[in-house]
Amino acid sequence: MKCVIAFKWAKNPQDARVSADGAVDWRAAKMVASDDDAAAVVVARDLAVGDELVGLTVGDGDVAWAAARGATRTVSVADVEPNADSAVLGEVLAAGVRRIGGADIVIIGDGVWDQMVSMSLAGQLGWAVVAGVVSATTEGDRLHVTRKSGTGTEVIEVGTPVVLAVAARRAEDKPPGMKDVLAARKKPLEKVAMADLGVTSVGGVTLRGTALPEAADARIFDGADPEGAVEQLMTALRSEGVL
Amino acid sequence: MDSWIIVTEAGPVAGMAAAARELGGTVTAAVVGPRLLAESTAACGCDSVQWFSTLDSVPAESLALQVADLVAAASPRLVLALDDPAGRVLLAVAATRLGAALVSSVPGLSVEGEDLVVTRPAVEGKVVETLVVPGALAGVFDREDVDVVSPVPAAITEVAPSGMAPSMRIIETTVAPGEAAGLQQAERVVSIGRGVRKREDIALVEELADAAHAKMACTLPICDDMRWYDESHVVGTSTQQIAPDLYIAVGVSGQPQHMSGVRAAKVIVAINNDPEATIFKKCHFGILGDLYEIVPALTAAFKRA
Repeated sequence: MKCVIAFKWAKNPQDARVSADGAVDWRAAKMVASDDDAAAVVVARDLAVGDELVGLTVGDGDVAWAAARGATRTVSVADVEPNADSAVLGEVLAAGVRRIGGADIVIIGDGVWDQMVSMSLAGQLGWAVVAGVVSATTEGDRLHVTRKSGTGTEVIEVGTPVVLAVAARRAEDKPPGMKDVLAARKKPLEKVAMADLGVTSVGGVTLRGTALPEAADARIFDGADPEGAVEQLMTALRSEGVL
Repeated sequence: MDSWIIVTEAGPVAGMAAAARELGGTVTAAVVGPRLLAESTAACGCDSVQWFSTLDSVPAESLALQVADLVAAASPRLVLALDDPAGRVLLAVAATRLGAALVSSVPGLSVEGEDLVVTRPAVEGKVVETLVVPGALAGVFDREDVDVVSPVPAAITEVAPSGMAPSMRIIETTVAPGEAAGLQQAERVVSIGRGVRKREDIALVEELADAAHAKMACTLPICDDMRWYDESHVVGTSTQQIAPDLYIAVGVSGQPQHMSGVRAAKVIVAINNDPEATIFKKCHFGILGDLYEIVPALTAAFKRA
């Protein structure tokens, strides 16, 4: 089935610099693929066997990331910045999927850094969506999708077109080798702008500012005196009613 | 300003209803699931419940369009849902229909004039950011529950099925291996992280768990990298979420992917020798010290208690 892998659409908060007054400086941070993206591309490769796998990405950073992991070509919407309104990025990605055209399945990381972009993408495409996906297989013209549920896992049968939001269990364990990374840079890359896709939304959320959080109200006991610290802890737990 | 809350699973529904109350208007709940879920939601402080009954084999996501149509017809200023997969799907589809701004984490909100104001942790909790939303807002509720005092249950109205064949169906359900370790029902849980240096040292912490009548849990690396426990003991985003009364984390640094698994714990205790450990910002009580000295002392204290 023809698959689109949407990847590298967020900045890693660990790359942001926070100053003493609580201001956040994102200038050194570029868009990067997350662990969820890496899990998503594994699912995408399996589903796209015998058909095309197209990468879709936004913003700055490594546009060849998906091409190094099996995508045959990539579409990049370069002039996109992160937005506190997840619907903006959802709209950009949905427009990108429409531009690529003919996709049966869109696979995207569930979004450890923003859990609503993948959902908004599906909502704006008007497609069915399964979140918390662990793996998926094709069964004729339908999919069997395994996803996490509150009490375990479920296998869901769903038709296409569909969006699968894949949640990683852990970091990528087999990053591509140098040969694949170099070959990826030679694969076709189409750069488009938001205006080319007809996206003009700036979102419905304004960031007023950031501040340092108030000091945590945790009570920390000094373990230099283990017996004394434990005694204080037990007294505190008793007063909380959990002993 | 009226609000809707979308409920597809048990969770901090009363907290979500209380947050929606801040807007001063009515709070309507759209519940997708069994009758029991509609009844528990009706007792959570909302004004009315619109209930979409589903078969066990039909995931709540199948009704996303029908729920979104109902929500959009009411044109509320605010829609909240919990962060379970189905809740997020229904929220996003409703947000699209409403043309609402979509915010991935809403711990709480207030009204300033005509604006909704959301204050939430950002940059992995290093800052608090303030967002101003002049129009409709759809958000994932992200805070602990509240106790509802003597609620009068809201009326439940069952919404007629649309007659459309569901777009998806559940063909297999597997109970999490976590059930094997008994963590879901445990009132007390003791967990270990990479601060425990050797496999033999686990016995020290297991003795504490025995004395405290607690179940043992661990972080993902203890299972995946060290292979000291099987997956049924792992707590975190990608494994299982638990809600014990008391959670004692021994040598656990407090990474977000682990802490999201114990967010619903009533009291979190951290034992760690690193004063900069993230967990000291996310616990209720902590002991800063060597776990190899603290744990035996705590075991003795529980044996005396």
